[in-house]
Amino acid sequence: MTTATSTTSSLAKAAGRTAAKRRTGGWEPFTVVSVIGVALFMLICLIPFWVILSGSFTDEQTLAGKGYSLIPQPFSTAAYKLIFTGPTLVSAYVASIFITVVGTVLALSITSGLSWVIARRLPYVSRPLAIFAYIPMLFAGGLVPLYLLVTQYLKLQNSYFAVILPLLVAPFLVFIQVSAFRQLPEEILDSARVDGAGEMQIFFRIGLPLSKPILAVVGLFYAVHYWNEWFTALLFMSDIHKYPLPLLLQNLISNVTFSQMLPTAAEQSTPVYQLRLALTVVTIGPILLAYPFAQRYFVKGITLGATKG
Amino acid sequence: MSTRTSVRSSLWLGLLAVPAVAFFLVFSYAPMAGLVVAFKEFDISKGLFGSPWNGLDNFRYFFASGDAQRILLNTIVLNVLFLAATLAAGVTLAIMLNEIRGRFFKRAAQSTIFFPYFVSPVVIAIMLQVLLSGPAGDGGVVNDALAGFGLPTVSWYTEPGPWPWILTFVKIWQLGGYMSVIFLAAITSIPEDVYEAGQIDGASRAQMALRITLPLLKPTAAVLLVLGVGRIFYGDFGTIYAIVGDNGTLFPTTDVIDTYVFRSLRQIGDFGTTAAIGLFQSVVGFVLVSTAVLIQRRYSKETSLL
Repeated sequence: MTTATSTTSSLAKAAGRTAAKRRTGGWEPFTVVSVIGVALFMLICLIPFWVILSGSFTDEQTLAGKGYSLIPQPFSTAAYKLIFTGPTLVSAYVASIFITVVGTVLALSITSGLSWVIARRLPYVSRPLAIFAYIPMLFAGGLVPLYLLVTQYLKLQNSYFAVILPLLVAPFLVFIQVSAFRQLPEEILDSARVDGAGEMQIFFRIGLPLSKPILAVVGLFYAVHYWNEWFTALLFMSDIHKYPLPLLLQNLISNVTFSQMLPTAAEQSTPVYQLRLALTVVTIGPILLAYPFAQRYFVKGITLGATKG
Repeated sequence: MSTRTSVRSSLWLGLLAVPAVAFFLVFSYAPMAGLVVAFKEFDISKGLFGSPWNGLDNFRYFFASGDAQRILLNTIVLNVLFLAATLAAGVTLAIMLNEIRGRFFKRAAQSTIFFPYFVSPVVIAIMLQVLLSGPAGDGGVVNDALAGFGLPTVSWYTEPGPWPWILTFVKIWQLGGYMSVIFLAAITSIPEDVYEAGQIDGASRAQMALRITLPLLKPTAAVLLVLGVGRIFYGDFGTIYAIVGDNGTLFPTTDVIDTYVFRSLRQIGDFGTTAAIGLFQSVVGFVLVSTAVLIQRRYSKETSLL
């Protein structure tokens, strides 16, 4: 009896499997439409990057006369030469790297400390802290008080820290990290306690090393944020030699004169548009290079943030 | 472990949170107190607390200026457009990605459409210039294409009309992939046997997508929608300001609260009025966000997003 049912069910299963196979193997119209749709959207995502890349290698005269094309002709690296010899462009790179590296390290350390304390569910401490970190997500003072704070009270104009400090802790990332810290098995922490480890030791020697993936997620989010940040820089930086890359680029859009940014010898025939595109490439470049390695962490971070809370 | 040692060790561990607490006090809570400037006739030489009070004059000035109606309307219209468009794009892309069986192609596609999320608004602004205006100001890839088909070209940067749609398109480009990651995660959590049942009933893949996947994505979409509506008063400053900048011709359709506040702070230097608008924005935003969070807590415990 039992054997009979099991054979029939396995037969049914086998039949189902072939049916399923036929279905997924064949190309239904909907699958075809989907593949085409996704491919089209991919193209839409890629084309702007390609036009900029090719334009940055196209000779300025051609760019002005014939417009943009998909293949640079005649090929020219004039803009890149200018970028890497112009003092302001180099200083912009330095500014961006400083803001990104120092900002990310500070932000990640501070966020980790806070998240760990919230995640450990300490009596009288964790819950008030969580609420304390949550309120700024609901209500913000806005631009004017922040501007007065940074310029009148902290006097941080033209300091890289004017860009770093206001973005130091993102409540959203705190909650992602808290939920990741809570997934650490309590037994491991307990066994460390039994072995006589202090709470601080547990955090530095066990908690952090076991949480490397989430540290990567949060760190990468901060790094991209700092690399792209231009709004706080726009507010608080007036010295062009301290501009980070995106702000310099924004200045190029609004057609500010380039003379200050370039080596004096190059002033006569500055390839303005080509330069703009090359600088764009240089700005996206690092993110693009890091992206293949970082992408899965980003996906993980978003899905973690989207399902936990 | 006795309670006493645990309280002491928890205070000791609490030290780890001190830098973050200091950050929130200085950069989040102090500015909230700083909002009193909205009720003052601010004078830099007298400082925040020395400046004289002027009641509701700053608010009156803003609402009488005639700009209020325009920027409020723009803020709401643009954000509703952005929200609807990105949600629709995210769902569509996720369902389409879910159809793709080739693993390599699927991963390549996901990586590609997710990438624009990491691009600075400034870079997006440059891309738009390349597409819409070109070096000469009246060229650009789009105009070249229009001319190629014998259609009249458009001087995009002097025409406010199409900009809500252009900005919506930018938003889809920027966030479509990001949204699809969230929705794709929701699709993967749908149990396989639901589809097997559909298959046995002879459903085509299109029917399964429309009748099974789409309805099951509703809770996720609802949560994102509620949260998005809550954030409507915080328009995306970065993208709009980077693209439009101080191009006054485009203000009738693109000027939102954030850009308006920023401009009046930078150009007019009127701290009182600007703070008044900011306070108005914060209060309305607070009401919307809290309502959104309450609704979301109540109706979707299991998909609780932040």
